[in-house]
Amino acid sequence: MLDDLRFRARSLFQRNKVERDLDEELHFHFDREVQKYIGRGMSQEQARRAARMAFGGHEQVKEDCREARGTGFIELTLDDAKYAVRQLVGNPTFSIVMILTLALSIGANSAIFSVINGVLLKRLPYEQPERLVRLFLSNPTYPKFPLNPWDFLDFRARNHSFESIAAFTRGDVQISGDGEPAKLNGFRITSGYFRVLGLRPELGREFDYQAEIPGNGLRVILSDRIWRTRFGSDPNIIGRKITLNMQPFTVIGVMPAGTEHPGNEYHSVAYGESVDVWWPFSFAGNSTQRGSHFIEGIGRLKSGVTAEGARAEMNSIMAQLGREHPDGDAGWSVLVVPLYAEVVGTARQMLLVLLGAVGIVLLIACANAANLLMARASARQREIAVRLAMGAPRLRVVRQLLTESLIISCAGGTLGLLIAFAGVRALVMLLPADFPRANDIHVSWPVLLFTLGVSLATGILFGLAPALQASRTDPKDGLQKSARGTTSSRHQNRLRSALVVAEVGLASVLLIGAGLMLRTFLNLIHLDPGFKQDHLLTATLSLPRAQYKSGEQTARFYSDLVAKLNATPGVESAGAGSDLPWTGYDENTGFTIEGKKPRPGEDFHARYHMATPGYFTAMGIPLIAGRSFTDADKKDAQPTVIINHAMAATYWPGQDVVGKRMSFADNPTKDSDWLRIVGVVGDVKDRPNSPGAEPAFWWPENQAPQPEMSIAIRTRSDPRQAIDELRQAVRQLDPGLAVADVKLMDEVAVSSVSTPRFTFALVSLFAGLAIILAAIGAYGVISYTVGQRASEFGLRVALGAQRGDLLRMVLAQCAKLAVPGTILGVILALSLSRVVRGLIYQVSPADPVVITAVVALVLFVAMLASYVPARRAAGADPMTTLRTE
Amino acid sequence: MTGRIELPQGTLDLLVLRTLLSGPQHGWAISERVQQVSSEVLSIQQGSLYPALHRLERRGWIKARWGTSDNNRRAKYYELTRSGAKQLESETAAWRKLSLAIEQILEGA
Repeated sequence: MLDDLRFRARSLFQRNKVERDLDEELHFHFDREVQKYIGRGMSQEQARRAARMAFGGHEQVKEDCREARGTGFIELTLDDAKYAVRQLVGNPTFSIVMILTLALSIGANSAIFSVINGVLLKRLPYEQPERLVRLFLSNPTYPKFPLNPWDFLDFRARNHSFESIAAFTRGDVQISGDGEPAKLNGFRITSGYFRVLGLRPELGREFDYQAEIPGNGLRVILSDRIWRTRFGSDPNIIGRKITLNMQPFTVIGVMPAGTEHPGNEYHSVAYGESVDVWWPFSFAGNSTQRGSHFIEGIGRLKSGVTAEGARAEMNSIMAQLGREHPDGDAGWSVLVVPLYAEVVGTARQMLLVLLGAVGIVLLIACANAANLLMARASARQREIAVRLAMGAPRLRVVRQLLTESLIISCAGGTLGLLIAFAGVRALVMLLPADFPRANDIHVSWPVLLFTLGVSLATGILFGLAPALQASRTDPKDGLQKSARGTTSSRHQNRLRSALVVAEVGLASVLLIGAGLMLRTFLNLIHLDPGFKQDHLLTATLSLPRAQYKSGEQTARFYSDLVAKLNATPGVESAGAGSDLPWTGYDENTGFTIEGKKPRPGEDFHARYHMATPGYFTAMGIPLIAGRSFTDADKKDAQPTVIINHAMAATYWPGQDVVGKRMSFADNPTKDSDWLRIVGVVGDVKDRPNSPGAEPAFWWPENQAPQPEMSIAIRTRSDPRQAIDELRQAVRQLDPGLAVADVKLMDEVAVSSVSTPRFTFALVSLFAGLAIILAAIGAYGVISYTVGQRASEFGLRVALGAQRGDLLRMVLAQCAKLAVPGTILGVILALSLSRVVRGLIYQVSPADPVVITAVVALVLFVAMLASYVPARRAAGADPMTTLRTE
Repeated sequence: MTGRIELPQGTLDLLVLRTLLSGPQHGWAISERVQQVSSEVLSIQQGSLYPALHRLERRGWIKARWGTSDNNRRAKYYELTRSGAKQLESETAAWRKLSLAIEQILEGA
């Protein structure tokens, strides 16, 4: 056995020597044979001839010996590969076109697959992530809503479906004392939050139930990053007191690197290692108050329990709670959403569409490659015929040709991998900031395997048909015909035309997709956002409650800050509001309307905000009726409110609402229970592409002070210049405050359309690639047939045909490919409309403008591709033809 | 040419091994010898001789070395190895058994 291997290895590695030996051995034999015949009286010539007859095919014997040595397969492959490389090098244009088009297509596929692998396929970075689910409440008005803390405690106590459940809610903190004050991404979590995720602190421990009791909350768990950057990886950090929100917090744990935030809906923070600190959620207040919803639930299912089963149990618990607390808990149901679906839900469809698009590009590239190979195979008919005539088995020819296509596809794949490396980097940069798991996107091992697999599959896919067809060459025909230019069968021409029709069709599908994405994108960027994005700087501030104990202090701070900013040169207007557009703000409340009773089942509700005077002007939100807030809307003055147009239209349709009153008291009696509507402002939608604006109103900050506010500064020139002035103004008022989330609204606007822009950019890129490939395909077929029909054209000219007639003939032939292709594409695109519906905005999947434009473009490109060969046909020289015939 | 028969399948190895029992030989000599000894009845197709030699070498039943031939040329000599000799024994026995059996059937018919 060992000897056998050694023998084979020697044959393989000392191949040249072994081959030389074999040659010598066979020559020796041959010479002896010749001598033998001469000894019998033959002439030298006769003897050689007889010996050759006896010997059989020298090459065949060698081949059989190789086979016998047990290295036949490998040697044959090496031979085939060498031969193929020689062929490719000898025909550089062909090889470069093939390899480059495949590299682009395979590279694009690998890049998109990297995204799919990181986002959809890679397991979430938690223990047994398939058992993790998110919990939400749902009712007809709010289909997906956070939980109430007391409901959560009841869920935790009563359920049997979960190993453990936990809740968390955004709770950013301001750190001071160790270096510059800074705002940190924080979450308030219940005990067991990390246990649910299956994560353990690398130092210290997780919060226990004690920490949930009000007054015990001054504890904190740090992220690895904060521990390293802010505290120099202090190994004795546990037990140390640090200052957060101006209060002493004791560090009780440090999470390891790689602790990823599972994502959240309410005041959401990006996925990945995006959270800096966790601190305890305290269950404070009255446990019968079930109306406010702001914590998010996450749970680990017991093994064997499905999300569906858990949902059934949670709903029966919710129904019990509804009976126990009819005020707050009635009418809600519970959603149990697998964490994976929650994380990748929105991205999934888009990614699958992109994968489909890029897959189509690859198919087109395959069709193209098959086409070029077939054209070349007919040019190589003579060579193949010779090989067949020399006794090469057909399988051997197929093998040879397949080796060639595999070498092409693997070269393309290797180059494609380089493209993928660069492409993935570009993709991640282009990705929307809130894209799930963007941090998990890399060219990794699965991507390398995918690329290898795709390269091999591609090589076989585009190589097999041409190889089989070429091997059917009749040696006799091949040898005879090739004396006079190349020919190919009708059958082959038909196959090649069908491939081009398919290419054109698929390219049309992608172009229509790209057109729809373009219209979506244009629709989105031309939407009136309801405010002015330009010259607008925004930032957020958070006043620590420990320091700003009363509402007056808070209100005074913001009114001082706004006054200071308004006095700054270059600032047109400044104001502060509880939130900024498009940030996912979603705070709602019910209310009473004076003189109006809700119909059964109806409930007056609206989104609430706070604003200082100057906020609407700074944001550029137009005042439609009444007035803006002024400094006169003070604490003890008449309570006022400004509503948006949607709220006026919903609750006071057709009426003049300025002067109307609403209330938040259950039974408003006193005059001070009522709030007077003093103004109506224009609508701002939740998201640029939200179907409409939610009803909303604003309290004056002075009457409803809110410690976390967003600052809006409208400047005359570049708003960036106001950044320093803002920081300075804040420092003058309170040196301990951090100015966070400093952004230009222009940038926010740009990032708000980043998902549609991303989809549009990629689909267009793929569509562009597709149409170029299809054009190459059409060009190849047309110029090939023009070459074939050269003599026919020459004859026609000789018989008096005009050049224009020939041009028209070739263009008509091209139309025969392009028109059915386009029709096929349009039909295919229409049948796929369901797939894209979720990705487009205010445009029909059958948009006539897009379809017309694509049809025109495709036909134009096809004509362009056939114009060069058509010109060549028109230039046919009758004399040349007659001479060669 | 008359009277020659093609070698039955699988007997080539046996003949080669047997020929080498009398000492190292090169390929041409092996084929000549088989032909002579069998009174010109058996002829080895040269196309199959060399693959067979290489196969036998791979299996370790014969080994090859370069030597000088009687007409002073470099030639590749094959010689029987120990395991080759054993193989020859068992193949010979098997062949005897087979031909005896065939003989009996032919006689008995």
